[in-house]
Amino acid sequence: MIKMEESIISPPGDPACTPFQRAHPLSHRLSLLWIFIGLGITLPLPRLSADNEQDKTNSANSAHSAKDPTLNYQITIRPLLSKHCFQCHGDGDEVHGEINLRELETEQQIKAAFELWSDVLEVIDSDTMPPESQPRLSSAEIAQFKSWYQKTLVDTIQPLPDVLRPRRLSAHEYRQTLRSIFGFDLEVSIAEAEQTIVEKSLVMKLLPVDPPGPSGFKNDTSANPLTTNVWEQYSFLIDDALEQWLAPGPRDHLEVVTGPIAGEHMTPKQANQVLQWMLRHAYRRPPDADTVAASLATIDGKRGAELESALRIELKSVLMSPPFIYRSLLAKVDDPKSTNQVGKPVLYGRVDDHELAERLSYFLWGDMPDDHLMQLATRGKLRDPDIYAREIARMLADPKSQNLAHNFGVEWFSLNEISKVSNNPPVSHALRQQPIDFLNYLFTEGRPLLELIDSKVAFVNPHTAKYYPGDRKRMTAYRKQRGIEVEAVPNQRLELTNTPERGGLLTMPGVLAMNKGPVIRGTWMLERVMGEHLPDPPANVGQVKPNQRGENLSFRERFEVHRSNTTCAICHNKIDPLGFAMQSYDAGGNYQPAGSTNSNGSKKRKQKDSKQPQDQNTPTALKPLDTSGQLPSGESFEDYRGLQRILVKSQRRTVIENIVKRILSYALARELRVNDMPTVDAICSELDRHGNLKQQEGTYHDLIHLVANSLPFTHAQPQHIKHN
Amino acid sequence: MSWQLDRRRFLRGAAGPLLPLPFLNLMERKASGAAADGPPIRFMTLFKPNGVHPPSWSINGGTEFDFRMSPLMQPFAKHKQDLLILDNMGDFGFSSHANSTRRFLSGHHRNTKSASVDQLIASRIGKGTPHRSLELTTEGLFPNQIGCSYISYDSNGDPIPRESDPQLIFDRIFRSPMRNQAKRREMKSVLDRVSEDAKSLSRTAGAEDKQTLDQYLSVVRSTEKRIDNIAASSNDIPKATMERPLAPANLNEQVESMLDLISLALWTDSTRCVTYMLGNSNSRMIFDFLGVKEQHHYLSHFFRNFSRQNLDALLKISLWHMEKFDYLLTRMKSYRDHHGSLLDHSVVLYGSGMGHSDNHTATRIPIILAGQGGGLLKTGRYVRYDENQQLGRLHLALLKMFDADQDSFAYSTSPLPGLNGSDFTPYSEQPFESWVKQGDGTITVQGRLRLSDNLDEARIFLIDVQGQPSVRIDVAFRDFHDFNLAYHCGTAVKITGTVTEKNGQSVITKVHKLDSLFGKKPGSANG
Repeated sequence: MIKMEESIISPPGDPACTPFQRAHPLSHRLSLLWIFIGLGITLPLPRLSADNEQDKTNSANSAHSAKDPTLNYQITIRPLLSKHCFQCHGDGDEVHGEINLRELETEQQIKAAFELWSDVLEVIDSDTMPPESQPRLSSAEIAQFKSWYQKTLVDTIQPLPDVLRPRRLSAHEYRQTLRSIFGFDLEVSIAEAEQTIVEKSLVMKLLPVDPPGPSGFKNDTSANPLTTNVWEQYSFLIDDALEQWLAPGPRDHLEVVTGPIAGEHMTPKQANQVLQWMLRHAYRRPPDADTVAASLATIDGKRGAELESALRIELKSVLMSPPFIYRSLLAKVDDPKSTNQVGKPVLYGRVDDHELAERLSYFLWGDMPDDHLMQLATRGKLRDPDIYAREIARMLADPKSQNLAHNFGVEWFSLNEISKVSNNPPVSHALRQQPIDFLNYLFTEGRPLLELIDSKVAFVNPHTAKYYPGDRKRMTAYRKQRGIEVEAVPNQRLELTNTPERGGLLTMPGVLAMNKGPVIRGTWMLERVMGEHLPDPPANVGQVKPNQRGENLSFRERFEVHRSNTTCAICHNKIDPLGFAMQSYDAGGNYQPAGSTNSNGSKKRKQKDSKQPQDQNTPTALKPLDTSGQLPSGESFEDYRGLQRILVKSQRRTVIENIVKRILSYALARELRVNDMPTVDAICSELDRHGNLKQQEGTYHDLIHLVANSLPFTHAQPQHIKHN
Repeated sequence: MSWQLDRRRFLRGAAGPLLPLPFLNLMERKASGAAADGPPIRFMTLFKPNGVHPPSWSINGGTEFDFRMSPLMQPFAKHKQDLLILDNMGDFGFSSHANSTRRFLSGHHRNTKSASVDQLIASRIGKGTPHRSLELTTEGLFPNQIGCSYISYDSNGDPIPRESDPQLIFDRIFRSPMRNQAKRREMKSVLDRVSEDAKSLSRTAGAEDKQTLDQYLSVVRSTEKRIDNIAASSNDIPKATMERPLAPANLNEQVESMLDLISLALWTDSTRCVTYMLGNSNSRMIFDFLGVKEQHHYLSHFFRNFSRQNLDALLKISLWHMEKFDYLLTRMKSYRDHHGSLLDHSVVLYGSGMGHSDNHTATRIPIILAGQGGGLLKTGRYVRYDENQQLGRLHLALLKMFDADQDSFAYSTSPLPGLNGSDFTPYSEQPFESWVKQGDGTITVQGRLRLSDNLDEARIFLIDVQGQPSVRIDVAFRDFHDFNLAYHCGTAVKITGTVTEKNGQSVITKVHKLDSLFGKKPGSANG
């Protein structure tokens, strides 16, 4: 059987549900020593003297022990952890919360776990851990741990860009890049009809679905290597593209490169032109002379049909070669200088201009640089901060910047999950398109960061209009044509003046409906909006107990009972207030005002796929909905609107920091490391400065400029020299 | 018609066989599971979405060998001798779109744990060919009732993904290095070039680049190895006059390209079993290339959404579906050798899973078999069974033809009789007399009412009278509506009306009275 086509039968592993990488609001405690945003940064000198012979761990009797963080750890911190923590987090058959502190021994392991350590500090500091049944840490012990944390994981961390690493184009990037090169999209012949799902792109149809990488984003293909299957699909796609490009008859796209082709075949001069053009575009930089010569040699002396056939094979070779399918493979680090990283000299410098252009265009467009950007790179103009800033502004104004909402935004908030909310494509399309259009508006129109949560603008169509009862009458009327039963309809921008229960991403019906129930909603908010990582619940966790005979507790009240278990409380004290605040919206995302009875419980019983604890009891008398709550930080609220105010006021730094981390991680197409934290902090502070000036935080445009100018984006360490 | 502009350079022209004779030897050498000295038997299915409009589709009256093909059958009437038209196929009652889709090849909508009949046949005849079977379609998935999108199901009863793109199918079948030496040579030279490149990059690469390039080179090497292995055991298709279809400009080109490819794939023995859906069973496609702006499903409810204009649009679409069946048969006949044509050695199943497209009856489902299947079928006949025959019986009969060891299928335990000319109990209609009484500007005529064969004038009806010219009914919309002429189509009626003469034929211009001979009143019976 030939089996290709639609993915609906076995839905591809959904990127969206993979928990995002560890991220923590606490890291804003890191002291903000490093101001390096902008071009021409000067780096602070390392405060520790070089001490490079002391690289190994466990050399306890070294004379340099005072300056060796690992040694300090071995002498003071590990015994402390051993006394209070290892019992549950390291020893025994069962490691609680998937956190094993005993495993962390080498300097590398300790540094890599930087976010875990900030979690540890938080739970010790807030007295959440050790659990109540166990002895507490003394204040001296807490101070000792804090001091170690500050010295080892805050003070000594210098901003440091990553090593240049080649990275395979993601399926989406591959598609966009091919389209930019050839001037057309590779499409499947399939009749489009209403209410059907069609993958028109041949690239997206044939290439395996990218799993999200360690960063949580699909453009991070570091864990997604080339395989023979992918190779074959590449070969098939390139054949198809070249077939169309070189086909006889009108050769409009080809003649963009060659100029008018007189007669049946290209002249040898035109073929040379095509090949050189292709090398420059496929490699996304000017090829070196040897490469050009070797390539031209393959068509040398040929004419007519023979020439075109040889040209086709050589073009295919270029488009199948490593510099096309991997980003950064030909990149260089300019003029690397030595700096000192905790006793180790490290080289790094600016990435070359073409690498920078490529980073920028794949970040903003998910696509290769256009000719304008490439020319600026060739002429060395991207080093001029004004020109660079103008390019960023130009690219954000280009429709290709929709990539930010369609890829970055969708993956950040797992918006593909919305497609599962309804089987009716026009409806699920409407629910999913709403947050995408909204994010596109935030990103490309440069809205303030926290409008993500609090905004007076929504994008609505007839399928979603019912969720905006106070404002829908201002929408332009929609009329179906005669003979049309159903169709997908584009969104209209709607200013919300009279629908107080909506506004911002969190109250969009599709977003509410894809996360059913308070626990899933709370977890999603904590991870995706607050940037906190939660471990999986312990395997032996019980369900929320049904009402016993004579009890008449609401779902929430029974949940409080569940939460009184300290193991559960660690996470649920954070999750539940957020989740229950959203209970004003039922499983379908409809608004049910506070004070109304909670009909949610009985409805949920029918929801077989709902992962949350089920209400197994028939409530004899429904209790009024309780949407109030208190965050672990102490702020309390009555309902979601109260929570919303907290998120954009007292918790704003937490939310902003998460936004910064996500976008930086997407822009770098990799997971953040401890050396990126100073960058995150500096960007957050810069945005807060904007906030102080304008009575509001910075905008997404500010953020994008900061990221595009940041050290890890503009710089790299050269690769290690191979040892053969 | 302008939309039929031939933009494709592929295997076109009525020039008969386009492939050179050596193919035949190739096929015969490989023929397995078929008669030792004959070509293999193929099984091909063409699915028509959204049921039919019975007044234009049904054959009424007539006998096994003496029958008049209906107005909708006119596009393929020239193949009459290659057709076995079955009638009274189906189940009692009504059927959703999804259920009717499953019924088409699985016999019954509850038969959800078994492979569909095409797959069971493929497992008999498809093993020796490069592609065991092809499952093809024209449009995307309909997730609201996913069953509307599939007719072929695997042995777990799960739907088999379908492919819609003629270019993709062409490349997979005829351009794959698996069966094409030129393609393998080309791939080898690309592999040589890129590994040269990768190796030269590797010489100056740092550790991270080198790791990536090593991975790349190992993929290149295993691809090389695979190509070498294929070359050693290859059964290539000789490079013939085949050209890749161009990207279709509209649905008609897309479907004709696909039908070309299907015929070619069957002829070259690339596969022996193909299913092709002309649309999802509730298709909402818009046939703009026919000048139709309404969605097909909307139009198919021709009673609920009745207007002359809608009916004309529906009939245009229906005729197009019939023309594609004709196209397939013509193409299959064009491939011939000394054994006969490709069609002679194939069993083609054409039809739907639903009868009446407006009220969704499951009775009188349109089913036509075509091709002799190398003697398995006796064609040139119209077989109307005495009572409803479940499609499962037809499927069981097909399975027996292909030597499947199966005693029951989809709740049916006995195969449908009569396909190879064996005895069956034919439908018997209550006899009636037909006559005409005329005088004084009025006429009374008794006989069977039918729609005009020319669907461009679908408002014209005729009453057939034994031994005399038919009486034509050409009345205003008011009469058409008040007397519900379309409803009585195919049945015996007595009509009195105003008459004039035109070209020697009596034409009723106003109906005064209509009696149904056997007393059925509109709304009192199914269908």
